Amino acid sequence: MTNSRMRNDECRGVLAFVILISVFVILAQSDACGHGAEFLSAKLTLLPDAEVRLEITADYGGNPLIADEITAREALVDPVRLRQGDKLVPLAELATASLFEHQNWADYAPAAYLPTDTDGTAHTLVTAAWRWRCEEPEIVFEMPKGKLHDVLLWTHDAANPAEPPKWMLLLAGDRSRPIPIQQTPWWRNWMAAALGVLLLGAYFVSRNFTLRQRTL
Amino acid sequence: MNNHILSLLSVMALAGSAAAEVAYEFVPNFITPPPGKETLGNSHGEIAVDAAGNIYVSIQDKDAGIQVYGKDGKFIKTLPLPPSLHGFVIRKDEGGEFLFAAVLGEQKVIKCNLDGSVMMTIPTSEFPADKVGKGLKLTNCDVAPNGDIYVVDGYGQSHIFVFGRDGKFKSVFGGPGEPLKLANAHKIFIDRRFEPARVMICDRGHKRMLHTALDGTFIGEIATEMRNPSSASFHGDLMCVAEIAGNVSVWDKDNKRVADLGTSPQPTNTPKIEPKDWQQGVVTSPHGITFDNDGNILETEWNQWGRVLRWNRK
Repeated sequence: MTNSRMRNDECRGVLAFVILISVFVILAQSDACGHGAEFLSAKLTLLPDAEVRLEITADYGGNPLIADEITAREALVDPVRLRQGDKLVPLAELATASLFEHQNWADYAPAAYLPTDTDGTAHTLVTAAWRWRCEEPEIVFEMPKGKLHDVLLWTHDAANPAEPPKWMLLLAGDRSRPIPIQQTPWWRNWMAAALGVLLLGAYFVSRNFTLRQRTL
Repeated sequence: MNNHILSLLSVMALAGSAAAEVAYEFVPNFITPPPGKETLGNSHGEIAVDAAGNIYVSIQDKDAGIQVYGKDGKFIKTLPLPPSLHGFVIRKDEGGEFLFAAVLGEQKVIKCNLDGSVMMTIPTSEFPADKVGKGLKLTNCDVAPNGDIYVVDGYGQSHIFVFGRDGKFKSVFGGPGEPLKLANAHKIFIDRRFEPARVMICDRGHKRMLHTALDGTFIGEIATEMRNPSSASFHGDLMCVAEIAGNVSVWDKDNKRVADLGTSPQPTNTPKIEPKDWQQGVVTSPHGITFDNDGNILETEWNQWGRVLRWNRK
């Protein structure tokens, strides 16, 4: 009886080991199949008061053009430029980039472009972020000719987060369509809120006054 | 006499320009998916046609392998092959017609007969260890007139490996360094329009196609500034190319673009364009392409639902 139980336990152990190895092999294969993000994902967030935040992410786990972290960081040095009249302005002239590493593709690529074959596996991502205030009512990005990395430019409207993102894939030499900037100054929203509170207050005061008059 | 010569030259010139005219018409809903399915299935592969005109499409779904369709686009059968046949060709070789495939998920190359029986495998161990790196990511292969098998590590280091007909390693060229400086050499093909045959490389990262000699010596660029060339096929003097960022192009032997088909209004490169958003005759992310035996074009897309488009030569 004891021997039989031991044999069962051994069988279960072997079975668990086989399952574990199988899962590992399947995961390893799905990673090897990785047709990941063959582009840099540029998330443009439109902020109030004509501010924009541009976060460009490179994947050195799934992008065959980016072998390692050093190449990923190099790709983020001058990935796309801003068209201002006749000039193409590098992002470095607009703001200093802050770089950070993470594994979260979901927040840095639109759903239609999230890598699929590597689902369930960890990503190795580097994001560079720039934030600046626009002087023009709309901005246009441009990819200089000869650029190796395509850029997927997509917009995230902070004022309407439920709005589905709009995206465009920029290849070397491509220019984005003009993107309107939110020119609303930050204090305008505060002023509107304050005015609302004042009106509400005035309503209650007048209502109390009317009620008191009727009571009298 | 002179008038006769002039007339003859005029007729020849007209005939030449007529021959140079290349036009196609889109054939809607050509493929009929397997019974019980609305679409072919998750696709990230290739399409090819055998000598009988049957059409072979690789599908990534579990138990999918390669789907075989008749000339009329009606489903015939599925070949039980690995699901990650990213690139394959059908070529005549000694003893018949065979399917040569790069198995991306298993880091190997297989040679099968057309019923799916594997005749030969080139395993990872046959590749030179110093070029394997973190692991091979083989994306395509083709066969030279002498039977040598050319294999590309397209999602890896873009090296091009040459094996003998017996599957034994012979040489390697390409890669990210000089002189070719390849980046994501997605697929390679043996271009038999030329004598001697050449290697045609879809250097997708650099958005260009280029020719080398069979020994890897650089011959020249075919085209640059493309929409990321991913695959190609040859018929007569023509070459058709699947450009994954949303275009199918046709080129003549002088490297002149003679037609563009199904161009997507804006570049795209994603497998997530849903069937409800497909437009007749407009490509999404072309990934594999072939001429049939009559010069018509069939294209398969990188698409989770699976999509094949067809254009007939006018």
